[in-house]
Amino acid sequence: MLVRDHSASVLWCEGNDTLAFINGLSTNLVDGPCTTVVLTPQAKIVDVVDVICLPNGVALVGSAANRASLLSHLSQRMLGRDVSLRDVSALNQVLLCNVQPEPEPGVTVHKSFFGWMRIAPLAKSLEPNWEDDDWNEHRVMAMLPYHGHEITGRHHPLACGLESLVHEQKGCYTGQELMARMRSRGRQGHRLVRLAGQPEGATTIGRTHSLAIERDS
Amino acid sequence: MDCGTCESASPVVVNAPKEVDVSLTMTTKAVEMLSDAFGDDRSHALLVGVLSGGCSGYMYDLQIVESTETPCQELDIDGFKVLVPRASSHLLDGIEIDYVDRLMGGGFKINNPNASASCGCGESFS
Repeated sequence: MLVRDHSASVLWCEGNDTLAFINGLSTNLVDGPCTTVVLTPQAKIVDVVDVICLPNGVALVGSAANRASLLSHLSQRMLGRDVSLRDVSALNQVLLCNVQPEPEPGVTVHKSFFGWMRIAPLAKSLEPNWEDDDWNEHRVMAMLPYHGHEITGRHHPLACGLESLVHEQKGCYTGQELMARMRSRGRQGHRLVRLAGQPEGATTIGRTHSLAIERDS
Repeated sequence: MDCGTCESASPVVVNAPKEVDVSLTMTTKAVEMLSDAFGDDRSHALLVGVLSGGCSGYMYDLQIVESTETPCQELDIDGFKVLVPRASSHLLDGIEIDYVDRLMGGGFKINNPNASASCGCGESFS
């Protein structure tokens, strides 16, 4: 399966402080390639970004819908650190697949929370073989949240199925106090569920099942 | 991904907040504790900075330094050389450096009129 990620934004970061900078602002331990969640101090999602380390810099692949708020969030917090940002979304295409692709010249492959990610310049021919509906069906069956559906600024990571991206021992990051409190008390307010059929309020509708975010009982 | 192409993209313009002339005060207890730390040698400086991160978004960074390459405002507070990085001056104007003497959670504390919230341990603010 190969599907084009229409909603991706790609930021190119350079500077010695890049990984430490992203680590201090997001939920996962960012000491190399990973997927991590950038949070507000109130633990709401600014964006879920894939951190891809390349020899001369770091690519941050997130959601195009969140690009402006992510850029604003990051740029307010640079405070003289050795980090620079370029928006290279218009120069690259991002595709997701569910099996590890073969290496290919000019194509960066990254193991993302969302699947195997392929990033290539626009001139590179990468033909998707899945439609968006196939991708949604795959996500419903795998309970895989995604940008604009389950992942929105209204929720915190535990409520929308991003638990595995919240590192428990990395130390302080923005939003950490609330995340730690929810985990220690075993109460997170909402959770991602898969329901049969196409219930009202579903965040992703599949052929036989749907994803939704429900209030904890 | 073609990073050669990426490098041709324009850098994102960072709207850095305007630098302000920082005023800063220290409590008697903080001066006393700094005197203990510095001794008679006043060639070093107290660097009062802000880093991104921490539970609430920004973290205080206090260091005793001989010098720094970071562009700073230099202040003389009660005979101590205090350095405030220009990039974080807008977050530190008007702060009071205090010292809290207790077994748990004690140490230097910063009272910041620019902070709308701070985390439980007091090391970060937003």
